Amino acid sequence: MDELFGLSMTYISATMLIAFLAIMLVVGILAWRNRVMLRLGLRNIPRRKSQSVLIVVGSMLSAVIITAAFATGDTISSSIRSDAIVELANIDEVITSSEDSEGFGQPGPPYFPEEEFLRLEESLRGFDQIDGMVPHMAETVPAFSQTTSLSEGRMRVTALDPSRMDGFVPLTTLDGDVVSVEGLPVDSLYLNEKAAEELSAQAGHRITLHIGREEAEFDVAGVVRPGGMAGQSTSSTALLSLEQGQALFDRQGQINIISVSNRGGAQDGADLSRDVTKHLRGLLADSDVAAELKGLLNQPALMTAISEKRDFTRGQTREQLDTLHRELQEDGVSEELVQALSDQVVQGDVLAAIESLDMPADQRQELLDNAFDLFDDLASLSVFEVKRTLLDIADVAGSGITSLFVMFGLFSIMVGILLIFLIFVMLAAARRTEMGMARAVGAKRSHLVQMFVFEGTAYDLMAAAVGTALGLVISYGIIGLLNYIIGRLDVDFSFSYSVQATSIIAAFCMGMIIVFATAVVSATRVSRMNIAEAVRGVPENIVLGGEPSFQDRAKLLPLSIGRPLVFLWQGLSSIARGMFLRGILRSLSSVLWVIIFPIWIVDFAISLVRFSLPYMRRGWLVFLLGAVLYLGGVYSWSSAAAFTLGMTLMILGFGLMMRLLVAARPQFTEVFGLILALSGVLLVPYGILNGQGVTITIGALLLASGAAMAIPLISGKLPRRPQTIDRHAFTLVGALVLAFWLLPEDIGELLAGELQGDIEMFFISGICMVGAAVWTVMYNADLMLQGLTILTSRVGKLRPVVVTAVAYPMSAKFRTGLTLAMFSLVIFTMVVMSLLNDSFANTFRDTERIAGGWDIEGRVTFTSPIDDIRASIADNSTLSMDDFEAIGGYTFAPLTVRQVGAESQVWESYALQASDDEYLAASEYGFLTTIPEYRGDEEAVWEALRQDPNLAVIDSGAIEQANEDFDSAGSFTLDGVSITEDLEGPITVEVSEPLTGWEREYTIIAILDPPADPVGIIASRAGIDVPSVPEIPITTYRFRAAEGVDVRELSKGLEVAFLANGMETVVLEDQIADLVSFFRSFYNLLIGYMGLGLIVGIAALGVVSMRAVVERRQQIGVLRALGYRQQMVQLSFLLESSFVTLLGVAIGVTLGFVLSNNLVTGFEDQLEGISFSVPWLQIVGIIIATYVFAMLTTYFPARQASRVTPADALRYE
Amino acid sequence: MEVPSVSVRDVFKTYDTGTIKVEALKGVDLTVERGEMLAIMGPSGCGKTTLLNCMSGLDTVDQGEILIENMKLHELPDDERSDYRARRMGFVFQLYNLIPVLTSVENVEMPLLVSGMNPGEARRKSMEHLDIVGLSDRAHHLPGELSGGQRQRVTIARALVNEPAIIWADEPTGDLDSETTNDIMDLMCRLNDENRQTFVMVTHGQDVGDRAHRIVRMQDGRVVDDGMSSTPAGGRKRSNG
Repeated sequence: MDELFGLSMTYISATMLIAFLAIMLVVGILAWRNRVMLRLGLRNIPRRKSQSVLIVVGSMLSAVIITAAFATGDTISSSIRSDAIVELANIDEVITSSEDSEGFGQPGPPYFPEEEFLRLEESLRGFDQIDGMVPHMAETVPAFSQTTSLSEGRMRVTALDPSRMDGFVPLTTLDGDVVSVEGLPVDSLYLNEKAAEELSAQAGHRITLHIGREEAEFDVAGVVRPGGMAGQSTSSTALLSLEQGQALFDRQGQINIISVSNRGGAQDGADLSRDVTKHLRGLLADSDVAAELKGLLNQPALMTAISEKRDFTRGQTREQLDTLHRELQEDGVSEELVQALSDQVVQGDVLAAIESLDMPADQRQELLDNAFDLFDDLASLSVFEVKRTLLDIADVAGSGITSLFVMFGLFSIMVGILLIFLIFVMLAAARRTEMGMARAVGAKRSHLVQMFVFEGTAYDLMAAAVGTALGLVISYGIIGLLNYIIGRLDVDFSFSYSVQATSIIAAFCMGMIIVFATAVVSATRVSRMNIAEAVRGVPENIVLGGEPSFQDRAKLLPLSIGRPLVFLWQGLSSIARGMFLRGILRSLSSVLWVIIFPIWIVDFAISLVRFSLPYMRRGWLVFLLGAVLYLGGVYSWSSAAAFTLGMTLMILGFGLMMRLLVAARPQFTEVFGLILALSGVLLVPYGILNGQGVTITIGALLLASGAAMAIPLISGKLPRRPQTIDRHAFTLVGALVLAFWLLPEDIGELLAGELQGDIEMFFISGICMVGAAVWTVMYNADLMLQGLTILTSRVGKLRPVVVTAVAYPMSAKFRTGLTLAMFSLVIFTMVVMSLLNDSFANTFRDTERIAGGWDIEGRVTFTSPIDDIRASIADNSTLSMDDFEAIGGYTFAPLTVRQVGAESQVWESYALQASDDEYLAASEYGFLTTIPEYRGDEEAVWEALRQDPNLAVIDSGAIEQANEDFDSAGSFTLDGVSITEDLEGPITVEVSEPLTGWEREYTIIAILDPPADPVGIIASRAGIDVPSVPEIPITTYRFRAAEGVDVRELSKGLEVAFLANGMETVVLEDQIADLVSFFRSFYNLLIGYMGLGLIVGIAALGVVSMRAVVERRQQIGVLRALGYRQQMVQLSFLLESSFVTLLGVAIGVTLGFVLSNNLVTGFEDQLEGISFSVPWLQIVGIIIATYVFAMLTTYFPARQASRVTPADALRYE
Repeated sequence: MEVPSVSVRDVFKTYDTGTIKVEALKGVDLTVERGEMLAIMGPSGCGKTTLLNCMSGLDTVDQGEILIENMKLHELPDDERSDYRARRMGFVFQLYNLIPVLTSVENVEMPLLVSGMNPGEARRKSMEHLDIVGLSDRAHHLPGELSGGQRQRVTIARALVNEPAIIWADEPTGDLDSETTNDIMDLMCRLNDENRQTFVMVTHGQDVGDRAHRIVRMQDGRVVDDGMSSTPAGGRKRSNG
C-alpha cells in the first residue's frame, strides 16, 4: 500500500516517526531534568501490577486497530500486486485496435494487419525503453479432451510469433524445460497448467477445439507454467504459433494484440510504463488529427472547464489533465499533447468539460460531436498500461480496505481514548493526597503534569509495542478469514500475508501519539486541584477551574499564532540569561512548530477553544455554532452530517442557556417558559404549512424548552437547587437530542430536505445518541436508584447489596458515565451492524425475485453459439424438453447510452440485454416503478416489450441514488428520476455501439426492482435484428426447470449436452446464496473487528473495580462490621459491574434497534424485499459474551475485596 | 450472677507485616459487665483498637479466648460472625465511617436490612433512631452534606438501630470539638442509661473517659489498670435499672 487518505505512506510514517522522536526527545529531556518526578511517576507501575497490565491493555487499542488495518491493507495490496506481476510477467502494455469491429457484441479485440506491427517495430528502432514486443492473436473457444472426456468452455487460444519472444519469459514446462511454439507440428499445441487441470490433460492427449461450427483436433505437446504469454493461472490457455492460429481462425496476415515488454524485469518494467506509453501513443497517433483537436479544444472557456475538471481528479489523471492544459496553450503539437489526448480517461474528461460549457445547445453539441469524432480518428491502435493499471488497482484496493478498517475502528479508538482519560482521572483521584502534599511543599502544577506524563509515556510505550504486535496477529487472522470467505466463492485467488515496515512504524507511532496526546490532556486536567482539600483527602470531582478573565483569554490567540516567534524569543532570552538547555529547547520548539505545521494548527485550535470556552458554557456560542452548521448543511453543503450536528449543538446550546436563565432568574422561569412555548406553538404549524424546516425546528425547540420551564406552573414547585436545575436542563437536552436523532427519516426530510450523507453519519449518530442517552441516564440516576430500591424491596437480605451496588456507581457520575459510554458505543455499533446486515440480507432471501424465476443460467461462447436450443435439447439423448418449464436467451452487449433531452449529453458506458421472446414472456422480475399506463400490471410491461421492439426497461442502477455506494452498472443515470418517486412518463434513451457505430432509440417504460439481477437496458432482440447489424448470436440462456426436476443435475446435464458450444452453467439459487454468504461473512468480520472495542470497555470495568476496592477499603470494613458477609461484599462489587454493563448494553441495544429500524424503514421504498429482522442468536451472543467477560474481569477485584478482614480494612491508612 | 457481656482471657495478638512482627496484645484479661460503659485508654500504639477489634470479632486472636455473652465469637465461621454482628452489635468509629454514597437514613437502616428486616419497617425504625439523635430533618442528606457532629450522631443512630447488646466505639469523638464531644457523650450516656446497653469505647480524651463507668488503662499491649478499684473522676454510677 503506497497511499492512504491521499497521502503517501512514506510521508505518513516519516511524519509520525519525527513526531514520535520529538515527543521522546522532549519527554527524555524533561525526565532528565526532573528525575524526582520521573521516579515518582514510574514507581507506581510495578506497585500495582495487575492494574498496570489493565492500563496497558486498555491503552493499546489504537495501536491494535491501526496496525491491523494497515497490515490488512498491505496484504491485500501486495497480494494483488504480486498477482499482477506473476500473471502478467513481462507484459507491461498491450496494444489493440481502436477501429470498428466487424461484429458487435464480439468478445476480444478486433483484428488488424500484421504490417502495422512491423511499422511500429520499425519506428521504435533506437528506443531503448522497450525490450520486446510480440504480435499475437487471442480467441476464446470451447475445448474438449478426447482422452479424458473433460471439457473447458472457455479456452483462450493464444497464437504468438515465436521469433519475437525476446524480452518475455519463455514458455516453460512444469518440469522447467524451456519450450517454444516454433516448429510445432500443425496439429499440436501447448496447454497452460490451468487448462491441463481442467481437462486433466498431459502431453500426448488429444483435444478438440470448437471454432464456430468447425472442429479442430490437436495433440497436447506439453503443459507449460502460467504467467506472461502463457496466460493467467486462472484462465485456461492453449498456445500455438501465430501461423497456426491464423490458419485455424482464417486470419491470414492479421493479429489482434501486441504485447509490449518494458526494459527490466517483471517488477521494475512497470516503472517505465508512463514513458513507454507516452512514446507509443505519440508514435501511433495521427499528428494531423492531434493538431485539429488542438485547434478545436484551445478555447478559453474550455480551458477553464478543463482545469475545473482537474481539481476533481488525482494521481495520473490529474497530471495528464495538467499536461493537456499546458500543452494546448503552447505552440505546435508536442509528444506530451498527443499522448495526453490519446489517454481515454482524459478524452472522457474533455468531453465532460465540453458538456459543462455555457453556450447555445446546438453549438455545444456540434463541438461535442466533432471532438468525439476526432478522438475516434486520433489513432488506429490504442495503448493500455495493463500492468501499471493493475498495480494502481492494488494500491487503491489496499488503501480502500485500510480506510474501511480504520473507519470502522474509529469507534474503538475513541472508546480507547475515553478509557485513557478515565484511567488518568482515577490515578489522580488515588494519589490526590500525595499530590496535594507535593504541591503543599512547593511542587508546581507542571511538575504534577510531568509526573503523570512520565508514567503515561511508560504505559504508552508498552501499550504501543504490545498493541502493534497484537494488531499484526489480528490482521493475520483477518487475512485468514478473508481467504476462507473468498475461498467459498470458488475464486482462484488468495491473499498472502505481507506487511511493510513503513506501515508498522506508522501504526506504532500513531498508536503511541494518540495515547500520549490523551495522556497529556488528561494530566493537565487532573493536575488542577484545591491543595487544602487534597491534603485533607476530601473527595472531589474534576475541578472545572475558574473562568479566566477576558484579557487573559484574549492573549491566547495572538500568542498561539506567533508561537514560533514566542518560543524563539524565549529561547534566545534564556540563553542570554545563561539557561542554555531551556534556551535550546525553546528554540528547537519554534523549529518544530514550523516543520510539523499541524502542531501549530492544533495549538491555535486549542487556544481558540480556551478563548471561547466561557461562551460555550453559557450556551449561546454552542447554539450559534450549531445554527451555522444547520443552515450551512441544509442550504449550502446539502450535508446530513452538518445538519444533524448543527441541530444537536443547537439543542445543547439552548439547554445551557435555559439553565443559566432559570438559575439566574428563578422567579421569571414560568413566564419565560410560557412565552417560549407560545411562540413555539405558533411557529410549528406555520412552518409545516409553509414547508419551512427551519421554522419547524426552531418552533419545536422553543415549545419543548418553554414547556419544560413552565412545568412549575403545574407542579407549584420551583426548582431552586442547582442540581435540580441541572437535571432539568440536561434531561431536556438529552431527551431532545435523542428524540431528534430517532426521528423517522421522512420527518428529517421535512426539516431539512434531501441531504447527502455517507458512512460518517453512522459515527456521528452513534456518538450523539449514545452521548445523549448516557447523559440523560446519569442526570436521572437517583430516580433510577429509587425505582430499583422499590423493585428490590422484596429480595430480603440482598437488598442492602443492591442498594450499595447501585449507589456507588451512580455517585461517581463521571467514571460511571464514561464506562457506560464505552459499553454503549461498542454495543451500539455491533448491534446496528448485525441488524443492518441481517435486514439487508433479506433482500436476497427471495431468490425467485432476484433471478426472475429462472433456475439456471448457461453461457456459451460467442464463437460457437447454439442454433436452436430447443431443437438441440429435443435431439439430445440425456435431456428432454419436459425437464424445462421455460428457456429464454439474450445477448449482452456493452454499448454507450445517453438520455434524450437530459442535461448531460455525454455517451456513458452501459449495456443492452437484447432478449428473445420467451425470455421476455417468462421472466418474472418485478418493477420498482412503471409509467402510469402499466402501473400494477407487471405482466403487461413484459408483453409490451415483446410487441414493440422500441420499448425497453432498465435496471435500477440507472437511477441516481441518495447514497453513491449503491450505484451499480456504470456512471449512466437517468435525469429527473428518483428512487422514491414513480415514473411519470416514458423516457427516451439513445444507445450506440461504439465499434460498429450502430445507433437507435429506446423508450423506457419501467425500472426493474433493485434486487433483480439483470444489468442494463432490456429490450426485445427484434430491435437489433436489422440489416445494418450482422447477426448476433444468443450467448446467455436462462432455464426454468419443470416441477420436480433436480436443478443441479439439470445444470450439469446442460453443460455436458452443450459442450461443443462451451456452455458453462450456474444454478442461480446457489450463486445468490454464495454471494449472500460472502457479504454476511465479510460483515461479520467487520462486526468482530469492531468488537475489539469491547476489550477496552471490559478493561475499563476492571480498572474501575480495582480502584474501587482500594478506595473503599475502609467502607468495606464498615459494612463488614455492620454484618455484611464476605459473599455480600463480593456480590456487591459484581452487581455494581453488572449494573454498569447491563445499563450500557441496554442503552446500546435499544438505540441500535431504534436506529436500525429507522434506517431499514427508510430503505423500504428504495429496496424491495428489505425488512427489519433481528439475528437474535448473534445479538444475544454479543450481549452474553460482553457480560461474561465483564464479570470475569470484575470477579478478581471483587474476590479480593471480600477477603479483606474487617479489622484490616478499618485500620486507618 | 449475671453473665458478663464480654470476657477476655489471656489474649495475644501479633501483626506480621512480613518484615517486622508487632506484638499488639500480650496477654490481656478483661471483663465487661452488661450495661457497663467502659473506656479503654492509653498511649498511641498500646493496643487499644486491636483489643476492641478482637473483642468485637472484627479481628482474630492468636491465643487466649474471648467470650461474648458466653459465646466464643472467634470460633464461629465468618458468616455466622457477620450475622451475629448484624444482630447483636453496633459500631461507632471515628469520622468518615458512613457510606458516603448513601443518605443518613440509608446508612442507619443498613444493619437492619443486612439482618433481613422488611424495608418499610427498617425505614420506620431508622427514622425513629434519627429522631432520637435529633437528626430526623437530615434524613435524606448525604454524609458529605453534614457537619462532623451530625455525622457522628448518624453513626450512633446506626449503631443503635438494631438494638444491639453491645456497642463498640473507636474514638467516637476523635475529630470533634469539645462542645460537640459533650453533646455526643451526653447522648451516649443517656442511651446507655435508658437501654442498659453495654458500651465499650476506645478514647484518648480524659474527659470522655471520665464520663464512663470505668476506665481500663493499657500500655504496651497489656492492661495496666482494669479500673475496678477506682471510679473515674466525673464517673457515673452504673444504673441497674
